[in-house]
Amino acid sequence: MDTLLSGQLLFAALVSGSLYALVALGLNLVYGTLRLLNIAHGDLVMIGAYTAFWAISLLAIPPVVSLVIAAALCALLGWAVYAGLFRRMLARPDLAKRVEANSLILFYGISVILQNLAALAFTSTSRGYQYLDTVITWQCVSMTGNRLLSLGVAAAVCFGTLLFLRFHLFGWSLRAVIQRREAAQVVGVNLNRVQMLTICAGFAVAGVAGVLVSMTEQITPFMGFPFTIVAFVVIIIGGLGNIGAGVLAGFCLGLVETYGIALTSPGYRSILIYGLFVGVLLLRPEGIFTKAVRS
Amino acid sequence: MKRPTRLASAALATAIALTAAGAAIAQDPITIGYSIARTGIYAAAAPSQENPYKLWQTQVNAEGGLELPDGVRRPVEFVSYDDQSNPANTVRIYEKLITQDEVDLLAAPWGTPMHLALAPVLQRFKMPMVGNTAASVQLRNVAPGYIWFPTSAIPDTMGAELAKMMQAEGVQSVALLANELPYSQEFRSFLIPALEEAGIEVMVDESYPPDIKDMTSMLVEVRDAAPDAVVAMTYPSDAFLFAGQAKELGIEAPFVMSLIGPTIDAYRKANGTAVNGVVSSAHWSPEAVDWPKGQAFFDAYVEAFGEEPDALDSALAYMSLEILQQAVAEVGLDPEALREEIASGTFDTINGEVRFDGVQNVVTPTGFVQIQDGKIELVWPEAVKTADYAPKQGW
Repeated sequence: MDTLLSGQLLFAALVSGSLYALVALGLNLVYGTLRLLNIAHGDLVMIGAYTAFWAISLLAIPPVVSLVIAAALCALLGWAVYAGLFRRMLARPDLAKRVEANSLILFYGISVILQNLAALAFTSTSRGYQYLDTVITWQCVSMTGNRLLSLGVAAAVCFGTLLFLRFHLFGWSLRAVIQRREAAQVVGVNLNRVQMLTICAGFAVAGVAGVLVSMTEQITPFMGFPFTIVAFVVIIIGGLGNIGAGVLAGFCLGLVETYGIALTSPGYRSILIYGLFVGVLLLRPEGIFTKAVRS
Repeated sequence: MKRPTRLASAALATAIALTAAGAAIAQDPITIGYSIARTGIYAAAAPSQENPYKLWQTQVNAEGGLELPDGVRRPVEFVSYDDQSNPANTVRIYEKLITQDEVDLLAAPWGTPMHLALAPVLQRFKMPMVGNTAASVQLRNVAPGYIWFPTSAIPDTMGAELAKMMQAEGVQSVALLANELPYSQEFRSFLIPALEEAGIEVMVDESYPPDIKDMTSMLVEVRDAAPDAVVAMTYPSDAFLFAGQAKELGIEAPFVMSLIGPTIDAYRKANGTAVNGVVSSAHWSPEAVDWPKGQAFFDAYVEAFGEEPDALDSALAYMSLEILQQAVAEVGLDPEALREEIASGTFDTINGEVRFDGVQNVVTPTGFVQIQDGKIELVWPEAVKTADYAPKQGW
């Protein structure tokens, strides 16, 4: 019981939750605005992780700087994917109708290409680097510097995005596109611009998540898939396309996982996560927070 | 004038053709086939095996090629395919290597399930293969014939040896954390009775899924129990997590073991001095003076790949090819003669002498290594150790 009430467990839950929320945020932006099922999302996390690794190993650039580099790199990739693959498809009404199903296949291809390019370029050998691993103790809670940084950055990006969506004109356009695509165009929203910038932002967020992950986990070309899965679980729990609900669902998943394991056993991790997922699909298929939170 | 010129041209042409043919025979490469997990769940682990293959090939070819009993050397060429981490693909690929590619020799794929799936294929086609990266008690059930396992990291003897080592180091209580994957669970099932026999109390016994993302609750339990030893039966990805979080939570046990992971170069790079003192499973160290080839292999590997070889998988992979090389030098490429030679011969490898009885290496002792000042030192058993075991001094 002492453990359950300790700040230590809360810290662990917040670190996991913020990362889940961050990874899911990128996926949700892309799905919400463009209706694209990006199953290569986890591979962007991998690209972010490799960016941080090579930057610190070859150029001694610390991961806090790599956050910007990885975000820019992934945003560029997002632009290339949008301009090269989806712009024309989304502009034609007949193709746009089928874009959701087609995007699944296209992104599967992109995922395979990204993984194999990474394996060819960097080999599959596991990589890792040491960064901010000093332990800070505050009020009986021990925190490794890199996990604290991860929590701070992930939470800042998530809540910063939510504030942006609420208060900035572009954020309003984006929400308008998510909620009423055609109506948004009627009132003068530049759909092409919103779509392009959103896919860049969604990809960039995944790159940022990759940098954070790389500080504590091993880096390999095939590390991305679990992040894709967890991102889909989170956005389905929260409500597809509902940005604020997705962020909340990410934190909830972290809490359920960490406290659930503490109350039962680590062996129940999958049952807890997928139990929640299936439960939500059965009881509130539109997402657990769809009414409670509107970004 | 015309006639002799024509004759001379013909003679010259014949001479050139003969020389070319002769050169072709001398240069005809020896083909070695294998499949490996370049994609899929095992892909991250496979380079630790394929890199030594490449290194060995470069070294052998630099010496003029693989030596045959008559002293002729022929260059080595690999024929390899991606098995996508799927044992069914491994079987298909080796059948293709033997029947269609008609390779001269075989090298092993990565992983226990692949080795086990392959044993009947080798038996059917009567093609010998020295295994490497496989470790399970199930290997003992493989019918002796065309496959051999140089490893001594087999869970039953490891369980017994670890209990013996912990007893010798004065450990009286232990916390066990085990990944749910087969190798860890097999090891755990042999370790628990061995610990009971050695009178070591098991204070915590938890299993966790391979995709675990946070160990806080488990490690808080361990910290509160304050055992003398923590044995984390990890795979590489959770070995990183365990090291990071054990440090965060200040696990103070003087004996800390992490089953698979610490011998990987990236693990030490990611954790630095924090993981000094961590014990792991391997039976090779480049530091061993009795195995002089070991240091040479280590240096060549670092030069070729810019990182240290894995003390377990890379050493085993290289050893398997050394065994093949020495057997070929003795009896040539005939599969039956090779089988007899590998089954009965004694081989000099980077891990010392190797000799097989049935499918198993009966010389190399089951050992444990410890990270000391970032180096992998063999600390158990007494007979082959390169350094004394030193209790872990914090993280």
